[in-house]
Formats: sequence, structure tokens, C-alpha cells
Amino acid sequence: MTDPLVEVRDLKKHFPLTQPLLDTVRRAPKDVIHAVDGVSLEILPGEALGLIGESGSGKTTLGWLVARLHDPTSGTIRLGGQDITHLKGTALRSIRAKVQIVFQDPVGSLDPRLRVWQIVGEPLRAQEPLTRTELRERVAELLPTVGLPTGSLDQYPHEFSGGGRQRLSLARALSVRPQLVVLDEPTSALDVAVQAQILNRLVALQKEMGLSYLLITHNVAAVRYVADRVAVMYLGELVEVGPVREVLERPFHPYTKALLAALPVPEPARRKARYRVTGEIPTLIHPPPGCRFAARCPFAVDHCRSEAPALRSLAGAGNRAVACHRAEELLDVRPEQLLDQAAGAPAAATASGPR
Amino acid sequence: MAEPVLKVQNLSVDYVVGAGTFHALKDVSFEMGPGRVVGIVGETGCGKSTLGHAIPRILAEPPARIRSGKVLLRGMDLLTLSKWKLPLVRGTGIGMIFQEPINSLNPAFRIYDQLVETVRIRKLREIGKVPGLAPGLEPFDYSKRAMPKTSEMIIKPPIVPALPEKAQGRKAIPDKEEYRKEVLEYLRLVRINDPETILDLYPHELSGGMRQRIMIASALSGKPSLLIADEPTSALDITIQAQVLTLMKELMEEVRTSILFISHDLGVIAEMADDVGVMYAGHLVEFGPVEDVYEHPRHPYTKALLRANPNQYKEDGPLPSLTGSVPNLSRLPQGCAFHPRCILARDVCRADPGPLLEPAKGATAAAHLAACHFSDEVEALP
Repeated sequence: MTDPLVEVRDLKKHFPLTQPLLDTVRRAPKDVIHAVDGVSLEILPGEALGLIGESGSGKTTLGWLVARLHDPTSGTIRLGGQDITHLKGTALRSIRAKVQIVFQDPVGSLDPRLRVWQIVGEPLRAQEPLTRTELRERVAELLPTVGLPTGSLDQYPHEFSGGGRQRLSLARALSVRPQLVVLDEPTSALDVAVQAQILNRLVALQKEMGLSYLLITHNVAAVRYVADRVAVMYLGELVEVGPVREVLERPFHPYTKALLAALPVPEPARRKARYRVTGEIPTLIHPPPGCRFAARCPFAVDHCRSEAPALRSLAGAGNRAVACHRAEELLDVRPEQLLDQAAGAPAAATASGPR
Repeated sequence: MAEPVLKVQNLSVDYVVGAGTFHALKDVSFEMGPGRVVGIVGETGCGKSTLGHAIPRILAEPPARIRSGKVLLRGMDLLTLSKWKLPLVRGTGIGMIFQEPINSLNPAFRIYDQLVETVRIRKLREIGKVPGLAPGLEPFDYSKRAMPKTSEMIIKPPIVPALPEKAQGRKAIPDKEEYRKEVLEYLRLVRINDPETILDLYPHELSGGMRQRIMIASALSGKPSLLIADEPTSALDITIQAQVLTLMKELMEEVRTSILFISHDLGVIAEMADDVGVMYAGHLVEFGPVEDVYEHPRHPYTKALLRANPNQYKEDGPLPSLTGSVPNLSRLPQGCAFHPRCILARDVCRADPGPLLEPAKGATAAAHLAACHFSDEVEALP
């Protein structure tokens, strides 16, 4: 087996909350947000790992940690065998040539006062001493790979559409020929038609340049198309990891099942009935003891509420892992069963509300 | 067919700004029957929100300018109403739910104070204490689950509010207890546990899903004839979105109000709508029952939009995608707005602005409205 490009072990990131002065004087323990709470994962060279989760699940924090934009509270991050968890200064800068990030907001992440060649060339300039002409040439070579015309070198970001701006961000990330690109919600600001163009580009680039991706998104469709493997995150922890087709077609964890059942499908004939997973996403300040999904899980038993399940592989399930005490019993529960009524069943039987 | 609740005829809206005139809506026409849920779907900038704002006339004018058309709410033309009469329609005639519930709620007031506003205005309008216009004064009977009968739908001419009769006096004004009871009832309607506590909270103390429930309660408490929901779940997480959609679907069974549901998400529209209208560059290009439109699209844009929705793995080959981009609304192409990106385009499409929505020739199963010269050929496209 090939060595992993990225190896994350028991990574934690806790953000301290501001405390009332009186509590500080009393030396009361500080409250923290457990944004990422003990995550371990690996990304192989040339592999696209999709990270799905809802807002507040810590997926963006995890991406920033891997790109070393946040400093972890504990745990280790290894890149190509080298421990990069605590790198600083020049050593950290050399890592930036290997790991790049594409941010979610294509408007906020591009300086409106810089021209295209300056924006796209900025990471290059940080890595190598280049003259202005050389830099412009390098950027001009790069633009066609993301589907932008070479002639747009002197344009400003506002002259581009949303899809065009996201292509610029992508070109900037690719300029230093990185090994890993962290894609933080690359298509969430785009329409379906434009999203399809960008996703096609991402997959083509992965093949051409042998890139690894960490694709962070809440969009299951994007993960389905781009990722090789998928990791599902809930409240700062991974609940399920496995090859994308297997996880999406036969999810093991109740949360993955709930997430897939909740997806609206553009097929009116398969209109869904009542969705059974209730409740809000709990706070990350005082995460519940035991399984973090237990409060919303339709299959939770007392054991789930007291003891936290570890991410473990199931017997005979290949390279899949799931963090659920009852995974074996729930193997055959399909996502549709989290809906009160299957498509086509008579509406009157179950549709009457709790009034 | 029953008298439509809402009838939009040839509505055109422009935005006049320094850079030029942007044709945000061009000759949009459609009808909504009582108790129907009509979905409007389209990409960013296609005019769907402009439509949702033009109907209750909450567009900022200027820069927006309503060029032509009619918006008939139960027979009353909203576009010819004078400015001061417009607020009399809102709340009880038309209710709105917006995308960002945190922006729709006032952070400085408790939930009770915000909810009671609509309830109080509706009650006062019902007894004639404050002015209100006809559509709102004739609310549907919400206790009935069946569709309103045609006889109940008789349209009264707009009345300028009469002064309340003296005899009614102060007793006719509902008291605080009554308001409170009604507010609690609406909170229970949107399945909020422990509504008594929620009443005294501020918006920031609630989660996104909870806030959107409050907005739904607030919109429904006006008992509007028409509810406009502009991307009501786009700011929510997938599982929370599913909860809110489930709730709205249940409420649709209980409260037979007509809903104009605007969304960019084809999946959400498929879940919610009875009829769907597809918009492209300010034009309504297709309109019909949701099953027909999704399964037998009769406009090439609808077909492309449905196909672009990714539902495949990498090994299955590249995603089908539309070439080109949405045209600039200030420089729409000659002829059909979609022709530069359309594989069916022929000379007639480039010259002729294209037929407005018209039903299929001959009685096929998919005989809904589509604005395309070659709508019969769309089905055969890949």
C-alpha cells in the first residue's frame, strides 16, 4: 500500500470563549468550542477525499488545520511523512507550496484592487524570486488550465462572474503546483449549470496533475462526483469514512442515513413524506456525553447516551469505518426508512400532523 | 376552474441604473389557483426574486420600474393601487417569508412583540377598526381542509375602509389575553415545543430552523390569501431544511393557502410544488404541473437545467453542462433569449422573439405551456 500523503492523528481544535471578568477572577474553567474533537484520517496521493457535514460540524476548521491556517490544540498532521503540526517561518512557507486552499467565498477571497496576474501570481512570488515579466508568463500559461482566456491577465476580479472568480481562486491555488488542494465549499455560491462546469474541471485537473483533494462541502452531489472516498462529520467528529459509492449507496451510520434521506430529489414522482429525524444540532460548547447524534437518532438506546462510540471498521466491510454502537444491527436500514411514508403510499394514513 | 387567487399578466420590470436598463422581468404571465403551490425555479439573476417582490410591490422603486402588466390578487389589481393603500394589502392579503430569518426579525424585540403585530393588525382589520383592503378581509376558512368552494371565492370590489361603527365601541377590540392566546396557537401550529418560553426570547437566542418557523408562523398569522416564500430554506442545513419542508407540507394540508414558492433548488421545488414555472433571463420559459415539467420538459433550458443537476460518479464520465453563460440583462440577444446556448436554435429563433407561453399543439400528455418554437423536439434531446 502506498504511504498516505496526509496523515492526521487525533486532531483537536478548541476555540476558547470570552469569559465574564468575574469568572476570570475566580479562575473558573474556561468554556471552549470543541470545533474539531479528535479526528484521524488519511489522504492518499492522487486521491480526492470528500468531507461532508452540516454547518457547525467543524469541517471547515478541519480543512484550515490541514492547510495550517489554524494551529491545532493537540494531535499531529503529517504531510508526506513529515510532521508539519508545529512548523513555523520558512519551514511553514515551504509547506505552503505543497498545500493550497480554495476558499468558499469567491468575492471575499480575491483582492478587488489587484489584477488577475497579481492575484494568481501571488503564491508563486512568495515561493520564488520572479521578475514581473516571468510572473506574467507563468500566470498566462496557467489560466487556460482552469478554462480562463489568457487575455484576461490585466482584468480585475469584479469583471468576472461567480464561476469565473472561482476559477481564478483555483488558478491561484494551482500556481505553485501543490500536492494537496483543500477545496472549501468550492461550488456553494454557484448555480447548478456553472457548478457542473467547475466540477468537471476539478476532476480533469485531478487526473492531469495527479492532485489530491480535500473537498469540504455540504453538497452531497458534488462529493458524489468528485470524491474517491468520503468522510462524514458531525459535531467535530467523524462518524463514517469509506469509498464514496459504497457510503452513499449503503450508509452505515444513522446520521449518514438521515442526511441522505433529507436530500431533496428533483423527481416529483418520488416526493417524500414526513422526515423523521427531529431536533436541532446541539451546541459544541458542552457536547453531549456518549454519541453526539444520540439526541436526534431514531435508533438510540441508553448505551448510546452514556458511552461515545469510536470510529471502527466493520467485519467484512472492507476499508469502511463507522462510529456507531449499533452499526451491525442497522446494516439493512435504508435511508428511505427514516421517512414516515414511502413514495406512492396513501397519504391519509400518516400525513395527519400531531395536532 | 376556480377563480385564481393570483393572476399575473404580462408583468415587465426594469432596473434603471447608471450603466443602463436591465430587463429583470419580461412579459411574465401565470395564474395560481386557490390552495395551489406554485414553484418558481431558475438560476441567480433570472428574475425570480424580482417577481416575488413585484407582486406585493416591495421592490425598491427606483431603481426598479414596473413597465407594464397586471397583478390581480383575487381580482384586485395591485399595480394600480395608490402607494398609501398598498400596506393595507400586506400581511392579510399577501404574506412573505424571506431567505434569511435573522434579517427578517428585529433583534431588539422579543418574539411575542414581533408575532403579535400581524395578529393585532389582522384582528383590527377584521372588525374594521383599522383599514384593510378586501382580499385580506375575506380570509379562507382555515378550519376546513378541503379546497374553498367557488362560491366562497366571490370577489368583492376593493373597499376603502369604512370608519368603525360607534356601537362596536371599545369592547370590540380584542384584549391582550386574546392576542397572546392566538400567538401561542400559531407557535404550536409550527410545532414549537414550549411556546410560552419562546415568546419571551430574542431572535438571537434561537437557531436558524427555529427562526424560520417563527417567520412561517408570523406570515400565516395574517391569514393571507397568498403566501410568497422566497428561498425559505436556502440558508438552512440539509437536515433542518428537511424538517422545515416537512412542516410546510403538513401546514399546506392544514391551512389551504396558496403559496408562491421561489427557489433555485430543483429538488426543493419537486418536493413542494403542484405547478412549476421555470425562469430564464427574466422570461418565464415553461409553466405547468410539476410532474409534467420535470418528466417531459418542453423547453431546452429546462431540460439542460435538469440534466446539469449532478447525480453521478466520476467513473460515469463528465457531467453534462450548459455551454456559455446567462446573458447580460441590459443587452438581451435578439430573438429568443436562450438561443445562443441552445442546440435546437435555428434562424427563426434568432429573429423572432419567440412565442410566449403557449400550450402544445395537439393533445399530448405533456401539454403544458412552453415558450419555444420547437418545443415538440425537446423530448428527443439527449
